[in-house]
Amino acid sequence: MRVKRYGHDFSRRHFLRQTGRSLLSAGVLMPLWKALAQSGDASRAYPDELLSIEGYTRGRIKTGDDITAANVELVKDLLEPIKYAQVAHMGRRLRVARTTADLMRLSPWEYLEATLRNHGQARFDGRGNVVTADGRPWIGGNPFPAPGTAVELFAGLTLSWGRHDASFYAIKEYDLSADGDLRFEYECGWAELSPVARVCIDPKPYWPGHEDKLRFQSVFFQSPDSAHGTSFLNIWPYDQSTFPELYGYVPAFKRIRQFPTDQRFEPLIPGSTLYLSDAWAAGDPLYTWGNYRIVGRGPLLAAVSGGWNPTHPNWEHATHGGPRGKTFWDTTVELVPEAIAVEAEPVRFPRAPVSRKRVWFDARTLLPIGMVSYDRRGEPYRSFDGAYALYESNSKVFMDGGHPYWSWAHIHAFDIQTGCMTRLEQVREISGGHAMRVNDTGIYDGYLTSSALMRLGST
Amino acid sequence: MGKGQMCARIVVLSLSFACCGMARADGDSGGGSGWFSDMDVSFGGFIRPEVALHTTDKENPLNERGNPYNSIAAPRQAYLPPNSGTALLSALGSPIKLPLPLNWNSIPLPNVPLLLTGRDTVQRPVPPANNAFNLHLLRAEVEIGVKFTNDLKLVGRLRAVGDFGHYSDFEGYGPDSRINGGISGGDPALYGGAPNYFQYRVEGDKHPNPLEWAGPNYMVYFPSLFLDYNHGPLNVRLGNQAIAWGQAIFFRVLDVPDGLDLRRHSVLDYAQEEYSDKRVPAPALRLGYQITDGILADGYVQKFQPTVYGNPNTQYNVVPVQFTVHDRYSEGGYEDKLGYGLRMKANFGQWGFQAIAVRRYNPDGVFRWTASGVDKNLPATTSGSTPNLLGTFVNLANVLSGGAGKNLAGTPFEASPGGVYSADEWFHYAAMVRLDGTNGLNAAVNDFMPYTTKVFASPVANYQQAVGELNTFFIAGGGDLRGHIEREYFQETNLGSGVSYVTDGEPGSILDQLIINVEATYTPARVFTAPTLGKNFLHQNDWVSALVLEKYQRFSQDFPATYFVLQYMHRTRDDLFGRSLRGYSGTDTAIPTGETNANYVVFAFQQPFPQDIYRIGFSTLYDPHGGILVQPGLQFKPTGHWSIDGFYTYINDHLSGNPNSNLLGGLGFANEFTLRVGYQF
Repeated sequence: MRVKRYGHDFSRRHFLRQTGRSLLSAGVLMPLWKALAQSGDASRAYPDELLSIEGYTRGRIKTGDDITAANVELVKDLLEPIKYAQVAHMGRRLRVARTTADLMRLSPWEYLEATLRNHGQARFDGRGNVVTADGRPWIGGNPFPAPGTAVELFAGLTLSWGRHDASFYAIKEYDLSADGDLRFEYECGWAELSPVARVCIDPKPYWPGHEDKLRFQSVFFQSPDSAHGTSFLNIWPYDQSTFPELYGYVPAFKRIRQFPTDQRFEPLIPGSTLYLSDAWAAGDPLYTWGNYRIVGRGPLLAAVSGGWNPTHPNWEHATHGGPRGKTFWDTTVELVPEAIAVEAEPVRFPRAPVSRKRVWFDARTLLPIGMVSYDRRGEPYRSFDGAYALYESNSKVFMDGGHPYWSWAHIHAFDIQTGCMTRLEQVREISGGHAMRVNDTGIYDGYLTSSALMRLGST
Repeated sequence: MGKGQMCARIVVLSLSFACCGMARADGDSGGGSGWFSDMDVSFGGFIRPEVALHTTDKENPLNERGNPYNSIAAPRQAYLPPNSGTALLSALGSPIKLPLPLNWNSIPLPNVPLLLTGRDTVQRPVPPANNAFNLHLLRAEVEIGVKFTNDLKLVGRLRAVGDFGHYSDFEGYGPDSRINGGISGGDPALYGGAPNYFQYRVEGDKHPNPLEWAGPNYMVYFPSLFLDYNHGPLNVRLGNQAIAWGQAIFFRVLDVPDGLDLRRHSVLDYAQEEYSDKRVPAPALRLGYQITDGILADGYVQKFQPTVYGNPNTQYNVVPVQFTVHDRYSEGGYEDKLGYGLRMKANFGQWGFQAIAVRRYNPDGVFRWTASGVDKNLPATTSGSTPNLLGTFVNLANVLSGGAGKNLAGTPFEASPGGVYSADEWFHYAAMVRLDGTNGLNAAVNDFMPYTTKVFASPVANYQQAVGELNTFFIAGGGDLRGHIEREYFQETNLGSGVSYVTDGEPGSILDQLIINVEATYTPARVFTAPTLGKNFLHQNDWVSALVLEKYQRFSQDFPATYFVLQYMHRTRDDLFGRSLRGYSGTDTAIPTGETNANYVVFAFQQPFPQDIYRIGFSTLYDPHGGILVQPGLQFKPTGHWSIDGFYTYINDHLSGNPNSNLLGGLGFANEFTLRVGYQF
């Protein structure tokens, strides 16, 4: 039993003091990274009030409860403002789960191992790129697990999005109107592969001959027929001041075409509220955004576990809320002891529709757990919140090599100004036989070349 | 399974194989071990009515009911054939030629009531059309994908198109259809009466397109049906497919592998969709190999399939219906020919390169006069039931040489309704379709001797003589003559290359992220149709090049980027439709002077609205010689199932000068508003 040595406001005052400092130091009772490195458990770094919903609400909300409009005021400070409004006014519900203590359940095993193994070896070179002590590209894991600055937080996120060396996500997208009507439904595939900082796929940490690149990434649409074959391939240079090369397959043209590299705030398909720039809250090269700054610290309710739905054969999720009961995914959240809010501005996109974005990171994993972007007037524009999961639930488990698969499970992308919602979910398989794959070298030839885009294209 | 697309798992098959089974979330990591454990069947498609509302009083002049001479009375004067003596001797079997210094304007023939028509005026006996609609299509498409393994899948796309609209269709020649037994030459399914909207037929083969089934009002075919094998960097496609190359849009520079299917809406669909459903598919083997991240090799071997033109009297027909076309695709043995090519494509950051080498049969084909093969004497009476003394004289003069019909069969003419009725009409159409009316007549005479001599035809020296000869024969033909041409195909080598560059500038500036693309092809000794339709085709080295500037520019933070494209094309031998520039700039009274090159400018933009629910499009094609096509449009996608597209096509072929000097001359009839309402499933 832990002895309560700190009053209920201790952590709040601590976070307020920390926010004003230019250098970040996560953890309240001790440096978070030290606690994690010692035991893989963040509990020793935080007081009880930050380790359970019961502790935070003094028992008024318990694990297993639903947060609804009836009780959301109790946790208003634990929700991003848009998520709070969704619960308070749009019928959204959040099921509360126990806070996950084991760090290894919050990210891919190999990624976390590499983070621990390679700690202290990362630095920024003269161009601001993350390199090892000898100036080589990064070698795997999060380079800054104990970040001192906002840019270090984003650098780690930009280096590895899905925390696997290669991923193919089978995705269903649903675009809903403000009236809650399902207007568009798409099936798409998203592939990403890291040629550097590899921790699982041989050869590692580098794919020889590709050390100058950070990632290959593509997205293609499989259905409906009008979108079938629409695809985009990004080839990211390692240099984070350079835009990725962007190629697209336009079904009407039946061929690959080169696109301007700064087309990252354009609708990819009708009805969607997503941009390439939105990917993983860090969809653009690190230095195409700027003025990174920490703007807040504190606990947060976020869906960092429990997002997998093995009860559906295709892992599809149930919905609720909104005018038609279809606006929100059923979502499980847990209390994240410390989240770090960071803001950044799109300095290389003078006519981007957003003026800044605020991203909340889980201080333990440094994963993004929420994002709000603001329009050019400074008004909230779009809100993103996703759910992660270790693909293990009761007796069911989906394996990634020797460990259960870890990944994202579903995402809300909400246009605050129009009330339109885009929901995404990672499913087992979409039509055409495109099933999710992880750490599979075949993802490159299958989805990440010009040849692949032509093959995926409409006929 | 989603509403938009059904995904059917082949459960029975899955159960049939001992090792197979869908990946389950209870302890595996995806994928079974059986051959067909990954088998999957998917399909999707759409159904879409398409209507084009005719917004001008002009009709397609290349069709019977759009012919302006249906409303114009043209004067005709017959002359004594200058080689009458020689022709008579020839008809009697004598090789002697009389050196009489006559020509086709020397001795006009008089009118002798009830005996001889030497001079008259003629108006084509076909009622003009007055179409409210150019197009009434119902289109349905289904795509099916069968994934056998991770490496192997079958892809098929089935397209069904029906035209069930009511038009001012040509329905024969009324009373005149009885004249001389009606039209005898050519395929009755194409020239027998009402238009045949969809059947592509060539001499000797009623179904030259594989995997296509068509009737006069419908067509069902597989634009794609192929096996796709992918293993590592290798990709193989085997089966019926279309291939598109190059970066330039609409301008086909490197896009040489396939011909176009110009049935249905010809090239007048939404311009920004390019030729998405127009390329003629063909059985092919296509291999792609991703050599490195940025270098792709792409090669194919393909059965040769020609460009398909609209049939006679269909709305967008491009060949005057006074001609009967004999397509030699089958008889000439071209059905068994192959085309093959290789493209190398490389991307290095801001730079992109591609090069092609193709050996193919030019799918557009070339045309020339051909013997009609119609063994039919000239009619004894005219359409007005008056005696046709001229025709009778020719018939009698040929009695001893086998008959006029037999000799006419050796010429490119047929005395049947629906042909050319006057020299005025002849020259008007020659200029319109970029041919040489005077020398075209001479080619028809000279290339088919001695048959032409036997029926009193002879070469002319100038326009006036041509008028005299033509009118004489039209009167002798009982009113008109139909011309017969054949379509043949020639092999050629296309060598091409392209370079693209993406500029770097001040972020957001007009010069930032501008995509510059240059493409060019060189075809040595390309074969073109001679403006005379003579037997000797033109053989000319041909350069086609294009400069393309593309730009996405955001003008506001509220609207997505506007897409702009500015294209310039330069051609040295032919126009955008493949017609020799030597046939350009003719008039109703003068032979073509030709053009030395053709230049076109395209400007287009697309402006999506937020979330891309609405999208405004605008395209224009400008020919500096006086033609312009302007096409504004709006696409509306209210939900995932429905899409509504509307666009207006405006063509002005007489901005300045002679319409026959610019690409669009003769296309002014196609001003129309097109509406498409699609439902996808």
